[in-house]
Amino acid sequence: MSDKLLSAVAVLLAALIAGLGLFWHPEAPARPLPVPALPAGGDFTLQSAGGPVALADFRGKVVLLDFGYTYCPDICPTALAATAEAIEQLEPDERARFAALFVSVDPQRDTPARLREYTAFFHPAIVGVTGSAEQVADVARRYGAFYARQPADTAGGYVVDHSADLYVVDRDGRVVDKLAHGTPPVRIASALRRAMTTP
Amino acid sequence: MKKLSVLAAGLGLCALAIAADADRVSVVDPYVRLAPPNAMATGAFMVIRNAGERDVRVVRASNPASRITELHTHLHENGVMKMRPVPAIDIKAGGEAVLKPGGLHVMLIDLKAPLQEGGRLPITLEFADGSSLRVEAPVVRPTAGGMPMNRP
Ligand SMILES: [Cu+2]
Repeated sequence: MSDKLLSAVAVLLAALIAGLGLFWHPEAPARPLPVPALPAGGDFTLQSAGGPVALADFRGKVVLLDFGYTYCPDICPTALAATAEAIEQLEPDERARFAALFVSVDPQRDTPARLREYTAFFHPAIVGVTGSAEQVADVARRYGAFYARQPADTAGGYVVDHSADLYVVDRDGRVVDKLAHGTPPVRIASALRRAMTTP
Repeated sequence: MKKLSVLAAGLGLCALAIAADADRVSVVDPYVRLAPPNAMATGAFMVIRNAGERDVRVVRASNPASRITELHTHLHENGVMKMRPVPAIDIKAGGEAVLKPGGLHVMLIDLKAPLQEGGRLPITLEFADGSSLRVEAPVVRPTAGGMPMNRP
């Protein structure tokens, strides 16, 4: 093959690639991914086995907030296991700048003592809190967490339908991220890091 | 010789006709989630495969560790998780039913004693035709991925 032919082929190929680059946009992520609307959130004080716990106690730390109930046999264990795995992925200095709260929306059955045992099973860093039905309802409403007691036809007593998002609260007490149920621990950890490093 | 093969074929047909649901079904990767202390309930998960040419249905499950065993599913509606009992779990001919966290599960309610991590729990699945299948489910700690980490 002559050099001339070779360079002609090269020019053609280059033109083809340039053309592709110009006109071919396979599923180009031109639009940013939709950011979920973040709830107003805000401060609250609830009861843990070790006494009252206020969100404001953690100012300066990033808080991962989760709503659920200990009779939940499936969704809550998955969410708390994910939380525990994310905590394990943090470096010790990052863990020192972080707290995890599990808010029970079933205060009728979940005493603070029971909550402590439950959360410690997953990770000792997770603090279980609850309050009166009204307090819990107020916190859940402000964070956009949904729950509804259902008299399901099961021998296990009532079940509680609930949303299962994780909320990331930054060092100033603002909700900065909402992670859907099933978010892998590695992505939870990176969301926590982002909140720790964002000025 | 010919008679013999006819006989054999006949027997084969008979065997096929009387084969129970449980004989067509195999269970892969069963496990029970270790329940947190004092938890009233936990879930068992597995893949139930139906190699037969007829749909089968699991109508009941039982186990020695809990007073009550139910079949449950989760409905996901607008981000809200709703756990509900189901009357049966259907497995189409040649198909499978995947029982996994956040979906179908065998619900163990009112545990008689805490499960032991690393232990094994026999779970009996009962089919619509009355046949049953016993599976040995290891007890594992809950993980984020649902499936225990030490499995493929
Ligand atoms: Cu269930």
